Amino acid sequence: MSATCYHCGLDLQAESTFSAVIGNSEKSFCCHGCQTVCQTIYDAGLASFYQKAPETQILTPPAEDFEYSDTSFYDLEEIQADYVNQQGEFNQIELLVENIHCAACVWLIEKSLNAQEGLEEAHVNFTTKRLKVAWRPKDLKLSKIFKLLQQIGYQATPFDSDEAEQQEIATHRQLVYRMAFAGFAMMNMLWVSIALYTGADQGEFKMWFYWISFIIATPTFLYAGYPFIKQGLGGLVRRQLTMDLPIAIGATVTYAYSTYVLLAPSSTGHIYFDTVVNFLFVILVGRYFEAAAKRKALSETHRLMTLQPKLATRIEAGESQVISIKTVKEGDIVLVKPGDSIPVDGKVISGESAVDESMLTGESIPIVKTVGEHVIAGSINTEGALKVQVEHILNQTALAKMLLLMAQAQQDKAPIQALADKVVPWFVLATISLAVVTFLIWYRIDVEKALLAATSVLIITCPCALGLATPMSMAIATGVAAKNGVILKSGMALQQLARVNHMIFDKTGTITQGKLSLCYSEPSEGDTAERLLQIAASLESYSEHPIATAIVREAKKKNLSLQVITHFQNVPGKGVSADIGQQHYYIGTQNYLEEIGVELAPKWLEMLQKCEQEAISTIFIVEDNVVSGMMGFRDKLRPDASLTIDTQRNEGLFVEVLSGDKKAVVKAMMKRLGGLNYQAELLPEDKVRFIKARQQQEKVIAMIGDGINDAAALTQADVGIAMSSGVGMAVEGADIVLPQNKLASLLVVKHLAEKTDKVIKQNLMLSLSYNIIMVPLAMMAMINPLVAAVTMPISSLFVIANASRIQTNKKASR
Amino acid sequence: MEVIYGLLPGMLILGVVGVVVFIWAVKTGQYDDLDGAGHRVLLDDEDEAEQNNEQEKLK
Repeated sequence: MSATCYHCGLDLQAESTFSAVIGNSEKSFCCHGCQTVCQTIYDAGLASFYQKAPETQILTPPAEDFEYSDTSFYDLEEIQADYVNQQGEFNQIELLVENIHCAACVWLIEKSLNAQEGLEEAHVNFTTKRLKVAWRPKDLKLSKIFKLLQQIGYQATPFDSDEAEQQEIATHRQLVYRMAFAGFAMMNMLWVSIALYTGADQGEFKMWFYWISFIIATPTFLYAGYPFIKQGLGGLVRRQLTMDLPIAIGATVTYAYSTYVLLAPSSTGHIYFDTVVNFLFVILVGRYFEAAAKRKALSETHRLMTLQPKLATRIEAGESQVISIKTVKEGDIVLVKPGDSIPVDGKVISGESAVDESMLTGESIPIVKTVGEHVIAGSINTEGALKVQVEHILNQTALAKMLLLMAQAQQDKAPIQALADKVVPWFVLATISLAVVTFLIWYRIDVEKALLAATSVLIITCPCALGLATPMSMAIATGVAAKNGVILKSGMALQQLARVNHMIFDKTGTITQGKLSLCYSEPSEGDTAERLLQIAASLESYSEHPIATAIVREAKKKNLSLQVITHFQNVPGKGVSADIGQQHYYIGTQNYLEEIGVELAPKWLEMLQKCEQEAISTIFIVEDNVVSGMMGFRDKLRPDASLTIDTQRNEGLFVEVLSGDKKAVVKAMMKRLGGLNYQAELLPEDKVRFIKARQQQEKVIAMIGDGINDAAALTQADVGIAMSSGVGMAVEGADIVLPQNKLASLLVVKHLAEKTDKVIKQNLMLSLSYNIIMVPLAMMAMINPLVAAVTMPISSLFVIANASRIQTNKKASR
Repeated sequence: MEVIYGLLPGMLILGVVGVVVFIWAVKTGQYDDLDGAGHRVLLDDEDEAEQNNEQEKLK
């Protein structure tokens, strides 16, 4: 068994293991961050966290360099004004903590926060991953709370629950109340029904039972049935036939008829109050599941919205300061770092960069913006740092329009669901016509029979099962996915994934861990490795590429100070360039060097070849057009990469790997994975082109990637899947987000998608065949409304039971 | 069987009480976090025994 990190449980890499004596024994860690977090936990006397955390669960390693990150801007009043509630001497805030994944996390957070002086109460909602904190502002700063969370390995974001969400919650509660009431009524009604059907309708208590039924049914009909009647009539006024109309007619007719029987002393008919109540309850249960599925999707997208930039870095008199977006004024100047979302609409006044506007325009290739050009809020700065003069903020920006688009995307339904919606008016029309026809046929024979048969038709055809078929399956699938740490952004993605027959993986960061480490450094003669590293780190600190991160991390480890650079430029997939003082530097791949016309001496070429055969990626540092050194980086395969890929190939999927890396490096790596097809030395736009070409061959493509250079490819693919450790931007292009460090969960999602697709089709078949059998029987007056009301929920139960099979799937729950 | 005249209204009253309690529970947020509460009960103790346990395991 390989050694694992004591804190996060990741496999340890021999060359980068940290050990320390913590709590009486030596423990090994995968990174400095894990070690620090563990030390903090032991120091706080909360060591039993490690016994409480489930063993199989891999904890999220803390963010790189979390000790250096600055939280002090959370103390600014204008930022707090957006999120903080004041209650007496306490302040309250709701935080979204992304990486809560087990009950032990909840315990750790609550324990360590509650031990803090000045903190009144910390309460974690495990389901929504939200943390409610109340604290005394005079004893404790908000930034300290953020710092504490970081120290035990959690990243928090302030959560601004807006009006739309409040409204959502209120509507949802209304539905729950109505359902609960109908449920209560149904349970009591059943007792009465049993008595009536076993003979009480003959004896002296007949009227008493009838009146009790009436007393139970009336409030149920009025309260629980109200939304249906309102919607059905409302639809009629707008000349639309809605699903609610037959429900409303069915319930009203049955109720009215039963009331007539009760009040008219001469009548000999039965009452059907129990039908009304049971019918409404079952339909409300269906509605509840539908709403729950929708709510889940809503809160997911809502979460994304809250991660939109709400802070901006304003530059005033040469000093930069992080402030709330609400306090930015027109004409201010804000700084946008590479990889950040641009928080405002404005004009570039300094810097040059490519900006990804795909979220707004659908144009997936970043557009180069130079001084004088306009940038829009919500687009993403991919390369250089920009200074932007603010023109529009908040509601006036294109970002506001984008949020509107996102709101529409929330209502994005699965294709089958969309089809169902188109069919509904015709279905309703057919239902009502059938009922009317049935009534007219039987009218001449017996009015009561005609009324009952027509009502039966209405109740039977009530498309509960049909309406439940898709949302129910989707809700369960989303739940199963969430349990495995996978986020599904839309039902559509899941259905697409079921059809996928071609998987394309990115190499760096997807099938490898993406954590490159510097393993080789060769300065030119007379130069030192240290100086080389210092130069490289100074340039690369502006980039987000894994190589850049590795260099900067290495430099920090050696305590090298960074130099000031100017004219920074990032050429995606190739390298970076900048000036330090009078010298001009390039750092990049061999290709990049060729492009800028720098020749490599034979000595370098030889070394390059040797490295590539060992799957070591290399970059060169060029100082004033002379090569001054070379660096090599090694990346490890994810432990579950080969399992994932082998399983998929065995299942008949075609697997390919796209990489921006050098051909020889990729080749060496693919050999270890059993000779996969690969394309190397691709630029981001090449990847997009490649996927397009494959799509023209009628292949349904899932792209699995991370990082900025995959964002476009993820969008182009039929299904974009991102690793959540990736840069925020790639996650935005993705339909499905896999949990950190668990590539194998891809298998789970794929099986889940196939299973769900199958179950949805089965469910639609089930409810259709139910209708085909029952409707003719009802029209022949062979079914009275009660039987109809009993069989209808049974068909719904079939659908629900079938859908819940998704959950018990062995493969999915693995 | 005249007892039925009393039983049925009694049943209804009990039922109404049930509904009222349920609505109260929803309103006070008891259904907001269904997963957390169950675990919290099990995890709330920090005692010496567990730390000793860990040391013994290592020996």
